[in-house]
Amino acid sequence: MSQFLQAAAYGVVQGGLLGLVAVGFSLVWGIMNVVNFSHGALAVTGAYIAWILNIRFGVDPFLAIPVVAVALFAFGYVLQRGLINLVINAPIFLTLLLTFGLNLVILNGLQLLFTADDRTIDTSYASQSFAIGAVNVPYGRLAACFLALGITVALALMMSRTRLGHAIGATGMDRGAARLMGIRARHIYAVTFGIAAALAGVAGTMIATVGSFNPTTTPGQLTLDAFVISVLGGLGNMYGALVGGLVLGIAESLGGLLLTGTWVNAIAMAVLIITLVIRPSGLIGKAMYGGRVEV
Amino acid sequence: MIAPVEVPSAAVLEVRHLAKRFGGLWALRDVSFSVSEGEILGVIGPNGAGKSTLVNLITGHLRPTTGQVLIGGRDVTGLRPWVIAHDRVARTFQIVKPFRGLTVRENVAIGAMHGNERDRSVRDALTTADELLDLVGIAKHANATPTQLSVADARRLELAKALATRPRLLLIDEVMAGLRHHEIESAVELIHRLRDSGITIVAVEHVMKAIVSVSDRILVLHHGSILALGSPSEVLADPRVIEAYLGHRYLDRRSS
Amino acid sequence: MTQKPSAGPVAEVLQGRSRSTQGMFGDWIRSRTPANSWPVVAGFAVFAAMLGLQQLIVPGTQRLLTSVFLFVALAQAWNIIGGYTGYASFGQVAFFGLGAYTVAVLMNNYHVSFWVALPVAVVVGVLFAVVIGVPLLRLRGHYFAIATLGAAEGAREVVNNMTSVTGGGGGITIPTFGSEAPTPYFGKPGFYLAFLVLAAVSVAVAALIARSRFGYAMVAVHEDEDAAGAVGINTTVVKVIAFAVSAAIVACAGAFYAFQQIEFYPTDVFDASFTVLMVIMVVIGGSGSVVGPLAGAVGLELLSQFLRVNLGSFNQLIFGAIIVLVVVFFPQGVVIYLRDAWRTRQFSILDNVRRYRL
Repeated sequence: MSQFLQAAAYGVVQGGLLGLVAVGFSLVWGIMNVVNFSHGALAVTGAYIAWILNIRFGVDPFLAIPVVAVALFAFGYVLQRGLINLVINAPIFLTLLLTFGLNLVILNGLQLLFTADDRTIDTSYASQSFAIGAVNVPYGRLAACFLALGITVALALMMSRTRLGHAIGATGMDRGAARLMGIRARHIYAVTFGIAAALAGVAGTMIATVGSFNPTTTPGQLTLDAFVISVLGGLGNMYGALVGGLVLGIAESLGGLLLTGTWVNAIAMAVLIITLVIRPSGLIGKAMYGGRVEV
Repeated sequence: MIAPVEVPSAAVLEVRHLAKRFGGLWALRDVSFSVSEGEILGVIGPNGAGKSTLVNLITGHLRPTTGQVLIGGRDVTGLRPWVIAHDRVARTFQIVKPFRGLTVRENVAIGAMHGNERDRSVRDALTTADELLDLVGIAKHANATPTQLSVADARRLELAKALATRPRLLLIDEVMAGLRHHEIESAVELIHRLRDSGITIVAVEHVMKAIVSVSDRILVLHHGSILALGSPSEVLADPRVIEAYLGHRYLDRRSS
Repeated sequence: MTQKPSAGPVAEVLQGRSRSTQGMFGDWIRSRTPANSWPVVAGFAVFAAMLGLQQLIVPGTQRLLTSVFLFVALAQAWNIIGGYTGYASFGQVAFFGLGAYTVAVLMNNYHVSFWVALPVAVVVGVLFAVVIGVPLLRLRGHYFAIATLGAAEGAREVVNNMTSVTGGGGGITIPTFGSEAPTPYFGKPGFYLAFLVLAAVSVAVAALIARSRFGYAMVAVHEDEDAAGAVGINTTVVKVIAFAVSAAIVACAGAFYAFQQIEFYPTDVFDASFTVLMVIMVVIGGSGSVVGPLAGAVGLELLSQFLRVNLGSFNQLIFGAIIVLVVVFFPQGVVIYLRDAWRTRQFSILDNVRRYRL
């Protein structure tokens, strides 16, 4: 029983972190109908930035987060405005291919710069944990989870309360109409992608504090998790990404307890496929963006 | 609602207590009528009356919430669109849906290849397509792409695509909208020619002048229910119809 | 109850045409004129040339061309479901892996001859395609892409975990020497021939389908499923058959690949980069045509090998950059761009970039 609780607790905190990885991905997909294959690579880029700051300048990773966010936002803005905007109106798999190519470039660039070795950011507090009854909760993961929650709520509030958020939402629902209202779609798309990149970078930083990362396997794993969570939670749905992350985190954690070997990976796939077939709009999402008018 | 009984029907199309609900909105409510062979039935009604929904229900693009659709006496309720198409039913779409990547000729040929008594070879289908393009009057655009056509020609293409499936029942959805005077006249003439060759036609229409000159009977839909059904003169004189279209003030003024 | 239209010029048109030809092949033969037969002649010429070439080239080049043939087949297979029918599957590699493992398991565990294992592998691929196709082909666009990706990953995991049968993560080996071997190993020349035939067959199948009624049905489904249904096309059947044909070719390729490699791990034959390469080759070459994927496969595989040999560790990076550049500058595919540019005498690449930009 205590094993079960431990796995569940672990799944919850891990899930919060996964949710943060996915929320930017889901935003970009929901607003711009772009599936960003390089999302995981952007996250890992953020991790490396924090790692360098830590190794070279002794900066605590949580303090490095603002730096990572700004850097990745700028990078994402330029990528969208300069590259992805060029193929927005093309058939879907072209943007997939573009982001796939980007993924290769970023991954290999990181590998050339930093080698393929596993890296991690050690902090004195991250590995310590406190106990609630029979369950151990590690500080680092818990902090990451709270941060993830906070950021997601802040993002959701921004989307619903600020002018920028409204502009993003409007462009997502009907680009043509939004442009007729004076919204600069190219800029808004770039901002959206920049936000997503920044979030990915922050998530990557936090992952670096609780575990290890490398440029070869981590990005792919993160992107795949982001897929599954986005589908679960409904595209473009901030809270949905959190919920999806929690579901996936708990499912994988409990699954690891009950099943042997690498069946756990198969769980994520099964969850994905079943959700897509039964309820493509996600567990709590609404099929908002079905009838788009693209201009 | 009457329990479905297999009453043999001489009608080409029979609709029994058809109803369709979208969430909380009843788009169509207890609609029943039948269409005999060789008849032209016009369907009119204000926007949102449920006209296109009716066409979609008959052709299988939507599933009715309740009710039955019978084609030639056979219950086709809820069957997939292509099954109904193979029961010799064809339709046009209100917003035309051409196959954009193909030429005009190929667009029509697809209907000939996959419809009823289908042409077994692509070449035969293309020949049929040429003849149909000639029939509707866009033969000169045979090699163009659909996006290059004018509104009237695009409607003709839509019609030719439907005819290529060799139907006995044809449902046309607002073919006249946005057409000019002489275009409307040639469209009406074409519809008459089609009927003379034995096709039963149900025409959903908005343009009054056209529908009155084309139809044998007119069905008036309003808020999803049948308001009136009868000959054009009967229907147009019906006060309820006048009220629905022009408002009760007009009606009051007329009667006072 | 059928009712035939009565007499009159309209009716004549609407009467069924007398049955003049039967079947795809007859139709195709009959429509050949000197003008449009040159692709067939060219195809045969290339095939013969490749055959003859075998004697003249060094083993290294043989290996290179063998892998080019493999990708030609894979690209044509992807084009059938992704290019023509418009359902971009990101999980085709599942069939590759299943084909590979079926052959490996049958030959290793049950000492079945390769020539028996091969058709079984194809059947397995087709069955899997039908089983996952029926639910998944109801999805569209990105959803379909990701669902098929998930199916491929799932297939790999299942194979990975069936350790007793497939050797799991430890890999599997096909016996190829001595009395243990059910079929003697083909050797480099043999595999050159095998993959060449596979490539030729896949190009032929694609060409036949493209001009047939089924090909038109696929395109109609791609363009507008509602309109396709309205003219009598059973869209479900069309999609599933296209998916199954694609799967059959890919499974066959996987089967040959397994025999060629002799030993491999699940991650080798369920490698997602196969899928991505398939997609890239078709898109860069130009989807929805027969020549496009062919050119894309040849061009990209040669390029990839060239980069690997000459640039060492930079090669993946440059490859990624090239993908980005080609997608941006030639979104409709290089072959289609060239064809249109030649026809309209408009070669401006900048104009081409503006086609799809926001």
